[in-house]
Formats: sequence, structure tokens, C-alpha cells
Amino acid sequence: MIEGYLRELDAELGAVGIRGSLRRRILAETADHLHESGDAARFGEPKLVAVQFADELATSGARRVAFTSFLALAPAGIAYAVLFGLVRTWPDIASAKLLPLAIGAALTMVLAPQVAFAAGLLTVAQAWRLRSESPAPAAEIAVLRRRAAVAVGSGAAAFAGIAVYAYEYSSGLPGWWATTAFVVSGAALLPIGGAAVALARNARVRPQAAGPAGDVFDDVAPLIDRIPLSLRGRPWRFCLLVAAGVAAAALIAGGPDEGPRNAVAEFVAVCAAFLALGRFLGLRR
Amino acid sequence: MRAETLKGHLDFLLLAIVADEPAHGYRIIEALKRRSAGAFDLPEGTVYPALHRLEQSGLLASSWAVGSGRRRRVYRLTARGRRALAGARREWRGFTKAVEAVVA
Repeated sequence: MIEGYLRELDAELGAVGIRGSLRRRILAETADHLHESGDAARFGEPKLVAVQFADELATSGARRVAFTSFLALAPAGIAYAVLFGLVRTWPDIASAKLLPLAIGAALTMVLAPQVAFAAGLLTVAQAWRLRSESPAPAAEIAVLRRRAAVAVGSGAAAFAGIAVYAYEYSSGLPGWWATTAFVVSGAALLPIGGAAVALARNARVRPQAAGPAGDVFDDVAPLIDRIPLSLRGRPWRFCLLVAAGVAAAALIAGGPDEGPRNAVAEFVAVCAAFLALGRFLGLRR
Repeated sequence: MRAETLKGHLDFLLLAIVADEPAHGYRIIEALKRRSAGAFDLPEGTVYPALHRLEQSGLLASSWAVGSGRRRRVYRLTARGRRALAGARREWRGFTKAVEAVVA
């Protein structure tokens, strides 16, 4: 009877994506328990036990992965800013070895960090919001994983973009900068890769807890009192406000020559990202 | 008592039981039943996911030991778990005192 129960539990754990040493451990603990109690019926339906494991482990694992991703990205972001700040004169765009690739790399290294930054902040905000919720609804876990994936993926793309850019424009950039860019990119990609692996492992577990996912207003709940009533529950208005803030920062940073152009580009980029990724990242329903 | 009633308090109860001495899952469940005079008689399999979660949160630690000729996972409270338990006890005592004052 015990063997039959363990076989069924084994299959159910596999069905919810719990594998490897964790599955072996759960089965060993269950076997020990059943030998002690001698009553498999009191342990609960194998399917229910497996689903409960999936719900609990997916929640705590996704939260941990969210914080790990942010910790991998934060120092990488600082290194990125320092690297950018070290360049006094950018090379002529046409001086690349392979222009289309160089333009793609330049766009990636400018846009991807912004996406990584925004997604990373949203990931941490949601993980913090879910800190005492156990188990969290499967829909929340899905959004949290997607946010972390976008943050990690964009972070990796940013550093890959820098490395390609440094190679493409090696003739127009100081040699030490190109070398530093390669080293920093390699060093940053290691923890980001580690976070990606942890995320992929967590994503194998399939929780089933019912309930809706929150949106951006749930994430910023601690600040909600400071958000004007006219914006609450209106994600597009909120997006326009954020876009305006980013544009204002670009205007100030770019100065009179490049500021207006950069401000418009940033405003459009924020709105386009919100349109493309808003639902995917759970910013709007 | 229904499992739903217990929801939200299970972590606190499990930490309190393990605080007395390290124990494996079956012993923890038996202690829960015995100390509550049978009131907390849960489907036994529901306790293990909670134990795993508490371990992932750093409130419990566990290791394999051999007992009754079998390998068994023994859980013990971590320093962080001890602090969390102390906080939960304070909160619970304040809550029950307040409820008693209202309903008595």
C-alpha cells in the first residue's frame, strides 16, 4: 500500500514539475512518515499533496529568484553606468566594421538597460508585496517570473550589446575602454547567467493556486497615498506620467542640443514598452 | 477544527513545536495533534510543504538522520526562526488579550 502511494505521489510530483533531488527528498520523507503512521489515507490525496508542494515551493522559490535577479543586476547596472561615463567622445556611427550589427548593438545597449532597470524594480516590488503571501496565486507567480525573465534577459542583452559595440567600434574607441568593456561584460554576464539558471529551475514548478494577479497599483501600494486619485486604477495615465518624468530627465541630461530629441525618444520608448510589455509584465490587466 | 481555520497560524505552530527540540515530520505532526488535544488534526501531507517553505525562508534548517532503521529528515529552528517565533508569540498574546477583552 505504501509503495503504491509513493508511486502515485512520484508521478504527481513529476506532473507539477518537481524533479531531481527535491522530489527524492519529498518521497523519502513521505516514506518515513508512512512507515511510522501506517496510514496512507491520512496523508492526503497524492495529487493534492503534490499541488500543495508546487504552490508553496513556487511561491518561495520565485520570490527568492526575484531578489537574486535584482542582486545580480544592481552591481551590473552600476558597472554599466561607470563604463558609459568613461567615454568622452563616441565614435562616428559609420566607422563600424559591420554597420547593421553595430547599430543593433548600440540600440540594445541604450534601450535594454532601461527595460532591465524597470523590470528589475517591478520584480523586487512584487516579490516584496508577496513576502507574506503563501501560497501566492499561480497568476501572480507567472507575472513575477516574467518580470524577472525580462529583467535578466534585458540585462544580458545590454552587456552583450556593449561587447559587440566595443568590438565593432574598436578603431574609434580607446583600447583600454574596449578591453574594460569586454571584461565588465563577461563579469556581469556570470551572475546574470546564474540568475537565469535559477529562474529556469523555478519555472519548471507549476503552481495551481487560484486567484488573480495584481497590477502596477498593487506593486506601488506602499506609495499609493501619494499617487493622485486621478491616476489610481488608470495604468495608461500612470504610464504617461512616468514617460513624462523620464523625458524630463532626458531633457535635462541631454542639454539644449540633444535634450529635446532624447526627451521625445524616451517618451515614445516608455509608451511603446508599456504597450508591448504592459500586459505581459502585469502592469495592466 | 477545520484546516481553513488553522491557515495563517500553521507556521507559528510549527515553529513553536520545533523550538522545543529538533524533530522529524511525523513527530511534529503528532506533537501538533497531542498538544492541541486533537483539535489540530490536519491531513498529514499538508504539513510537509509548510515545513519545506519554512526551510526555504530560512526559519528552519534540516538534515538527514537515521532513526528506526530509516533515513529521516530532522528539522530544527534557526536563529532567524527563533526571532520570528518570539515576534509571533508577542503578536499572538496581544491579539488574544484584545479579543478576550472584547468577547469575554
